[in-house]
Amino acid sequence: MNHTHRNDQPPAPARGGPTRVALHTPVPGALGPEIERRLYFVSPRISGFALVGDGDTVTAVDLTTRAPCEEEGLEAKVNRMVDNDVRPQMPTRPKSVWTSPHERAADGDTFERLAAAGAVAEVGEGQVAVGEPLLSLFAYFDRAVLGILAQDHSAREFRYPTLIRTSTLERAGYFTSFPQHLMFVTRLHNDIDVYRSFQESYPRTGIGPSVLQSCGNVDYCLPPTMCYHTFAQYGGRALEGEGLHVVTSRGKSFRFEAGYSTTLERLWDFTIREIVFLGSREDVARARERYMRKVFAFLEELGLSGWCEVGNDPFFSGSDASARIWSQRLQELKYELRLPVGPDRSIAVGSFNFHDDLFGRAFDITRGEGPAHSGCVGFGLERLVFAFLSQFGTDEQDWPDPVRTGVRAAGGI
Amino acid sequence: MTTENARERIHTFLREHTGGQPLADTDDFFALGYVNSLFAMQLAAFVEKEFALTLGPDDMDFDNFRTVNGLVRLATSRTSAQS
Repeated sequence: MNHTHRNDQPPAPARGGPTRVALHTPVPGALGPEIERRLYFVSPRISGFALVGDGDTVTAVDLTTRAPCEEEGLEAKVNRMVDNDVRPQMPTRPKSVWTSPHERAADGDTFERLAAAGAVAEVGEGQVAVGEPLLSLFAYFDRAVLGILAQDHSAREFRYPTLIRTSTLERAGYFTSFPQHLMFVTRLHNDIDVYRSFQESYPRTGIGPSVLQSCGNVDYCLPPTMCYHTFAQYGGRALEGEGLHVVTSRGKSFRFEAGYSTTLERLWDFTIREIVFLGSREDVARARERYMRKVFAFLEELGLSGWCEVGNDPFFSGSDASARIWSQRLQELKYELRLPVGPDRSIAVGSFNFHDDLFGRAFDITRGEGPAHSGCVGFGLERLVFAFLSQFGTDEQDWPDPVRTGVRAAGGI
Repeated sequence: MTTENARERIHTFLREHTGGQPLADTDDFFALGYVNSLFAMQLAAFVEKEFALTLGPDDMDFDNFRTVNGLVRLATSRTSAQS
């Protein structure tokens, strides 16, 4: 899994005065980011927010709403989210496992610069068309992280279909964990009367939510990440041999994020390079650590600024959301790689995850007598390339030698 | 409360949740697969209630939760003078 959006909220435009929503009981300031990352999912009316407090505690939230806020119950909704998902989390100290020795200044206007040059174009909410030099950098970074993997493992690569069975996501526990990101794929029900009725009615009614009444198929989704494809592929199987099984894939992933702005920092539709380790607990844990360290060394060699810290997934609204978040942080099940993209802004470009036997059990993947253990690494390639460009600029002459050479060797710009 | 008293109470609690597996004080019962990762939250709630402690960010080190010795250290950390 690669859910990496902490502190990534885009600034939202202010429209009218904010509505202050008081928390019925203050929350420790350390949990502020956990409130922030969920607010856009509380109500579609929320278009911006600011936490109110003294640093040690958060006492209220100032909400900017899309229209004068008449929605009753907004206060109750915010408090319900905080009570369920945030308040029971016990604060942990931020912990970094790597900090780059380089301190490069990142240009916060990189997206605007790329757009002005015609290298990127916004084509929808959280959807950006990318051209050169991003495409060559995309290929370079993808090859680079696979090359690092190949130093220690013979990975099997797969290309998965874009659609994923809804039942696979259900089996992975996605519905209870991350309902906010779900993207169902549907189609008109295959019945001639349905097609005819649709053709007759849409010119009058237009395409609106009522069209869903002619659909009714929710058996496929867009994948939120690649590793569920891998678990489904290995589902019901016993791992052969003693060693680690390493599977990698690259594919488009989709997560509804509710708050988008015009940059590559936060996308609805993005590309993940995913690596899944399957095997014994010790082998998986060791492989994650070893690979992670090599990636850090690679970033240092390029001269990128950044750090890697203990993170957690945005579990939302489930009955055990807080317990799962806290367990992840305490046990360091997730490390998030963050790179600066502006003077005061960073984005998560990858994560290194240990699942224990969660997916081995869920997908009935066995090893020896018991469930297999797993871990995965995911890189958000658009974000990685964007962070690189924010730190090194768009002029190839200013890029580090390995990048310039790598891009040219592959026939890029 | 003595260290040994705390140790006994912790063993009693763990026995109920690990299917009665014999547990040495240094065994990592998470790594051994006796409990799943979510059990950590139950452990924290147990320590707070059983030993009348409020855990803070500085206590949130997994080494305090994955062995009996770690839990004893956590449970007696505020009362070390008596142990």
